[in-house]
Amino acid sequence: MQRGGTAVLAVLVMALGVPAQELSPGKTGGPSVSLVAAALPSIIRGEAGSVDLRFHIANGYHINSNKPSEEFMIPTAMHMEATTDIVIGKISYPPGQDVSFEFAPDQKLSVYSGYFTVGVSVRPLHTVPPGKYAMRGSLKYQACDNRACYPPKQLPVEFEVRVVKAPAPHRRRSPQSPHAHS
Amino acid sequence: MKRTFLVLVAILAGVTLMIVAAHHLQPSANAKNGGMGALRGAPAPDFTLKTLDGKTMKLSDLRGKAVLLNFWATWCAPCKIETPWIVDLQNQYGAQGLQVVGVSMDDESDGEDVKKFAAEMRMNYPVLRGNEDVGNAYGGLEFLPTAYFVGRDGNVTGRVLGLKGREDMEDNVKKALATKAPTQTAQK
Repeated sequence: MQRGGTAVLAVLVMALGVPAQELSPGKTGGPSVSLVAAALPSIIRGEAGSVDLRFHIANGYHINSNKPSEEFMIPTAMHMEATTDIVIGKISYPPGQDVSFEFAPDQKLSVYSGYFTVGVSVRPLHTVPPGKYAMRGSLKYQACDNRACYPPKQLPVEFEVRVVKAPAPHRRRSPQSPHAHS
Repeated sequence: MKRTFLVLVAILAGVTLMIVAAHHLQPSANAKNGGMGALRGAPAPDFTLKTLDGKTMKLSDLRGKAVLLNFWATWCAPCKIETPWIVDLQNQYGAQGLQVVGVSMDDESDGEDVKKFAAEMRMNYPVLRGNEDVGNAYGGLEFLPTAYFVGRDGNVTGRVLGLKGREDMEDNVKKALATKAPTQTAQK
């Protein structure tokens, strides 16, 4: 009985492996980049916080980093929609990996492959009621594999931020200057 | 216990096989357009596009010549690698009737990048500003570079998908050059 189950599992694993073997231009329907995870961060209103967005690039593909090494390459860039309650700050990108490809062995291109994380700095206004707030934006990227490049794409990105009140200040019985014990 | 396990495995396998089958049966962009292979031997889809200096160029006006139709973009690193080969092919086979035509698929560019790129790469052939309609006519151009080879009779003789090698391109150029031009009476 267990042998039968093992055989079915083997067929299952083989079936799952089929798409992964077809990574060549024109056979996959193009590369994909997806938002893997955005932890729901709690950010104190009136203070700046950062949201880390983790992306995954499909196996066999790479995308340009935010600072491509070549003049005409399209950088990976995150664009956030402005909100009335939360100020969008600096967007930080990881450095690219300098990689040579089969099509240009003497040249190094600055790219991302596999996983990469983009940090978005946000600052809820003092007046924002505590709660969850949806943030929207898009990631522009242009992907290639070892033989071809695919047109630039925009990946819609959505995540939530939990805005919380600042913790109540610690009260002391004896009144004194806040600088007195610094 | 074992029976439950087997039933679960069977259900899981069934669902997975359905997903895999759906993946393989889903029509790709190429299939929607008849597939790139469908063009082989057929008349090359005609188009009229603007050159970088604003003139218009019609593909069918090149009837009688062998045409290397090279779809590329400034953001395409492999395109940059193959461009010198294409420049060489124009030099080598131009006198025999080869006409290279570059079609830039830089949708977002105002044209200045394309001009700069073409000048830097010393493209010795006309470069046209492509569009979605032309891309769709040539199989959707899911990726670049993509080259089509058109015989002197205006029919597609071959294609090269992605970066391969100069030899592949040269072999296809020779095939296109080997075709016969239509007679003048046939043209009328």
